[in-house]
Amino acid sequence: MVKSSKILFLILTLLFVISLCTNLCFAGDSTISFSDFSAANFIFYEIRLPKAITAICAGSALAAAGLILQIIFRNPLAGPYALGISSGASLGVAIVVLANTSFGFLGNYFFGKSLILLSSISGSFLVTFIILALNKKTNNNIVLLLVGLMISQICSALQSILEYFANPNSLKNFITYSMGALTNASANESFVLFGIIILSLTLLLLFSKPLNAFLLGEKYTNNLGFNYNHKRFMFLVFTSVLTGLITAYCGPIAFIGIAIPILSRWLQSSSNQTNQLLICVMLGASVLLLADIVCYSINPSSVLPINLITTLFGAPIVLTLLLKNKQW
Amino acid sequence: MVTNSPAIKLIDADFGYTKSSKTTSVLTNCNIELNFGDFVTVIGNNGSGKSTLLKSIAGLNPILKGEIVINQTNINNLSYPQLSELVSIALTQKISGFNLTCYDFVAMGQIQKSNLFNQLSNESKSIISHAISICKLTEHQHKLLNELSDGLFQKTVIAKCLAQQTPVMLLDEPSAFLDYSSKHELFLLLKELAITKNKCILVSTHELDLVLKYCSKIILVNANKINLLTVEEAKQSELFKKLSGGFISF
Repeated sequence: MVKSSKILFLILTLLFVISLCTNLCFAGDSTISFSDFSAANFIFYEIRLPKAITAICAGSALAAAGLILQIIFRNPLAGPYALGISSGASLGVAIVVLANTSFGFLGNYFFGKSLILLSSISGSFLVTFIILALNKKTNNNIVLLLVGLMISQICSALQSILEYFANPNSLKNFITYSMGALTNASANESFVLFGIIILSLTLLLLFSKPLNAFLLGEKYTNNLGFNYNHKRFMFLVFTSVLTGLITAYCGPIAFIGIAIPILSRWLQSSSNQTNQLLICVMLGASVLLLADIVCYSINPSSVLPINLITTLFGAPIVLTLLLKNKQW
Repeated sequence: MVTNSPAIKLIDADFGYTKSSKTTSVLTNCNIELNFGDFVTVIGNNGSGKSTLLKSIAGLNPILKGEIVINQTNINNLSYPQLSELVSIALTQKISGFNLTCYDFVAMGQIQKSNLFNQLSNESKSIISHAISICKLTEHQHKLLNELSDGLFQKTVIAKCLAQQTPVMLLDEPSAFLDYSSKHELFLLLKELAITKNKCILVSTHELDLVLKYCSKIILVNANKINLLTVEEAKQSELFKKLSGGFISF
């Protein structure tokens, strides 16, 4: 790592720590009072900490998935949300959760949760490979984005059909979920999620070298000594699992996956994708923690959905990229 | 690793591509032998299959029939990392974005030797700097790829091949955008490299005058066939006269 990258990484670590502490202290609908220790303890360990951990997982995983998708499609406008992969995952969740209202098969807690996760990951997997197949037919950055938009529309139409037939109670839960929520994971679940995300991000970092060659496209990647198809499949499995996992818990979170990698490339000029991945992970986690604070700080008694804040944060970044009269 | 055996040997090879289970052969029955130290140009009309030939030898296009043997090994038996140590290729596609600079592109040539996090050793760095200075890119090395002119970009791609340090180099129309003096410098450099470093260099080009001046052998691509000729033979050949349109006189 060059010196400027090190300084940036240090600053981002600091930002991460500050946003984590602020999030734990202020992002909630009740204030933690130190006179009632057991209540404070409960709020901290059962509500605040799981929520903060979920935010860290979601932010870092989506940013990493976005970076990898951008590299694989060699398109700075790619991302799990923009390409409809999040919608695919969320459709997967909808099928299980809303179909349950008519069949009631989610009685067993563990079985139900696993089924939702599996369905969500299958949804993101399916959309990822549909996009990959369609990308061969177009070689245009903007067209790919429109293809993603169409797939995302198809997924949400199917989802609406399911919602139409669902009962009011599960529908309300599902709609809150589909606007993005960090509060779905229990304390234990958030720890397991954290473990899985840390493990996958570590593996990604260790295998990140071919991503550099990917920037030159398929033919050069092969000529530089990497099996392009094989490696691309591996990376797409990673991004599908990350997106599916996060979407199962938090709903489709907008713009983190596309805006964080763009921001990361603005902040550091290095083209070494290992560095970019590290910066994306730190930045993604911090931004989502901060967004969560904003959700609670406007009116603590009625919390804003996180997607509104991430969209207000991410859309201007993408817009700036589009309007900058520079080649991407 | 460089021996007296042929650098590139094509045995009854057919090249082409398969698109939605339909196979189109572009070149058929190719039989040639090229040695280390040869500086060979591939000439032929647009769309005659020059690029296909180069990509196939690099293992990037499927071989429809026959064998490609590089330095005594059939390329089908080589892994991607092994092949990347034998053959480097420069393609015509334009690449930019993702903060890639001229230096980064050239450094890709040493990517197999970098560590897990793509950090380069001092030895790799000096190889890269050397490749950059040979191609006269030193003052441009920190520019982004989209800030480079077409000619400078071509030099960058050639520098990448040099940094890869392979005994076989394949360059697809490397001189198309170069200025007059750079074209001559490039061909002179490639000739020198072929002889002093004992490399086998294969270049596709339309610059027939340069071909006659610098190359040791010529591959003529025409009507789905390839012919390996010496420069003298080429001058006599009807095909070469046709290609030059009668505008070159010897």
